[in-house]
Amino acid sequence: MTPAFELNTSISNLRDLRASDLGPYDAVYLGNIFCRVYEDNLLERPADLAEGVRIVADQGKRAYLATYAAPRNDFLPRLRKALEVAVTAGAAAVEVHNLGILKIVRDEFPSLPAHIGGFANVYTDAGALVLKDFGAVRITPNYELDLQEIDQIARDGGMPMELLVHGKMPLGISDYCFLLDYEAAWGIECPALCQQDLFLTKDGWAMKSVGKGVLSGKDVCMLEHLPRLVAAGHRNFRIEAVSESPAYRHDVGSVYRQALTRALSGEYDVEPGWWDLVQRHSRLGLCNGFYFGQSGMDYRGVRPEAAAAILQIAPREGR
Amino acid sequence: MTMTVELLAPAGSIEMVGAVVDNGANAVYVGPRGWSRRRDTYELDDETVHGAIDRCHAGGAKCRVAINTNMQSSEIAPMLAKLERFVAWGVDGVIMTDVGAIAAVHRRFPDLTIHASIGANILNDEDVRFYQALGVSQVVADTKLKLGELASRHARIEAGIEILIHANKCYTYLGKCWMSPYHRLERGRDAAGKDLFKGSPNRGGLDYRVCLEAWALYSGDQLREPRVELKNDAFFLLDDIPKLIDLGVRCLKIQGREYRVALVGRITRFYRDLIDAYTARPQGRAFDLTSWRKRLAEIEAARDTARGEGTRLLLLEARQPVRSEGASTAPSDTSPTDRVAPAKPALGAA
Repeated sequence: MTPAFELNTSISNLRDLRASDLGPYDAVYLGNIFCRVYEDNLLERPADLAEGVRIVADQGKRAYLATYAAPRNDFLPRLRKALEVAVTAGAAAVEVHNLGILKIVRDEFPSLPAHIGGFANVYTDAGALVLKDFGAVRITPNYELDLQEIDQIARDGGMPMELLVHGKMPLGISDYCFLLDYEAAWGIECPALCQQDLFLTKDGWAMKSVGKGVLSGKDVCMLEHLPRLVAAGHRNFRIEAVSESPAYRHDVGSVYRQALTRALSGEYDVEPGWWDLVQRHSRLGLCNGFYFGQSGMDYRGVRPEAAAAILQIAPREGR
Repeated sequence: MTMTVELLAPAGSIEMVGAVVDNGANAVYVGPRGWSRRRDTYELDDETVHGAIDRCHAGGAKCRVAINTNMQSSEIAPMLAKLERFVAWGVDGVIMTDVGAIAAVHRRFPDLTIHASIGANILNDEDVRFYQALGVSQVVADTKLKLGELASRHARIEAGIEILIHANKCYTYLGKCWMSPYHRLERGRDAAGKDLFKGSPNRGGLDYRVCLEAWALYSGDQLREPRVELKNDAFFLLDDIPKLIDLGVRCLKIQGREYRVALVGRITRFYRDLIDAYTARPQGRAFDLTSWRKRLAEIEAARDTARGEGTRLLLLEARQPVRSEGASTAPSDTSPTDRVAPAKPALGAA
């Protein structure tokens, strides 16, 4: 029986994969899109990637290969190798954030369905149609789009959308890891540096840093708005957890598994226990990203306290 | 033999068009209001674009329009109608980002030269080939690319490469950053009905430069660093100019529509003189950059002063509440309900 929806998440390496309970999920994106030297990045380790695909598949889930958000020429040999491994190991799809990589997939790995990632900058239905001609089968629209724009692309772009429903929204990608400047002073070396749960803050503003990547300080949360998403026909949802703990991945995924099932049944209430869990895992509160045409850090909903910061959450689970 | 390289200059006003043409630009780019990667203050209404095209042509220069925002799906039809007018007025090319819009323009105007904008964030050779397949004939190289990567590209691909010689090198890749609208985005339409997406450099052009804020860095609840810098440097290329010319890049591009007319005129004149001096040198003779370095330092100081003040004002503006009239034109289906003020982060204020 075809599942009514897909809930997926993202994992960077075998250590994290083995520590994670994938129970709430239908699919997993494997690999870290921000940095080539992220700890044992699956994109750089063919044997690990093959093992990762097997672990996911053995649990009855679909394994997807993630690819780098900003690949330069010298990335391409490794990416071709990862694509080759993904095909051989039986990955179900590849996510591309770069249109050159999409061309490589179409020309050299045509059996691998291509999902377009959020960094590929799909803003228009016309853009979606172009990518469809290049073999894309699913699109995560750029995070800056509001729901009306996303609905239009889904309707006229000829492909299903995948939407980030919870987690830290990517805000930017760099070629430069400023954390390396602090290796000596902190006594912490790469690749452990970017796993220190780092936040950039200034007068009420905050962003999470993973060195070469910047993420939202708040967690995007669409828990209150799932009926709106399913009513529009969206069925593919992501918990963005690439920088989070296995406990986060499990707890938030479990909430959304239940919530989406209920939303699709047509009778929807947000259970208090769900709020407790997502808030417990949110260090700096919740936001809606750009879905309602507002500043990305704002939150709209009937539960004002949902946006409130959690002042203390120490020690964080699973870190 | 050294190939002729084009000097492309910016114009944020009709006065700037005249200044850069008079100072030796081979080509000029302008942005129609609401449609390019700059604040609307530095963009031109359609009639002024017409005047810019005429002024460029009268001075022997080409004129391009930058329609390089990531537009909405519903904006592609009006964009084509607008471009129809520019083509009728003789515009020489269009600078674009969105792949759907590029494909639509190439279908409608197959003879119009399309340049892939810096916002397209073209990073590898396969990227270039992808955009070529859509009808793009020239691409702007990302500012993070190294000379060796450009050499590789030039050797392997028959595409025109444009190099930014005065621009910003941001912490993030251009076109792959939405830090600014995460903190402040103001939706609202101008008199012509264009949503300006104030705060989004990708969608409307205004970037609050929040990366340049005085960020503190926390690990969990522990203050690690009271002040970290996310590198965002404005640069002038100098030492690389001869190498780029020798490499055969097709275009050297100056950014700076937001600066004063006189400063952009000086920058244009500096590069005109430099290119002419280098290409006119006797074959095989070394080219001494010492005097050029001194002349550029003076320009750089003036630019830095202007940029610093601009950044200060942008960061102040970024803290202003979003205007309600902007919200009134935002999408209406924000159900359910109450707008909630963003929560103050728990981590200490720096």
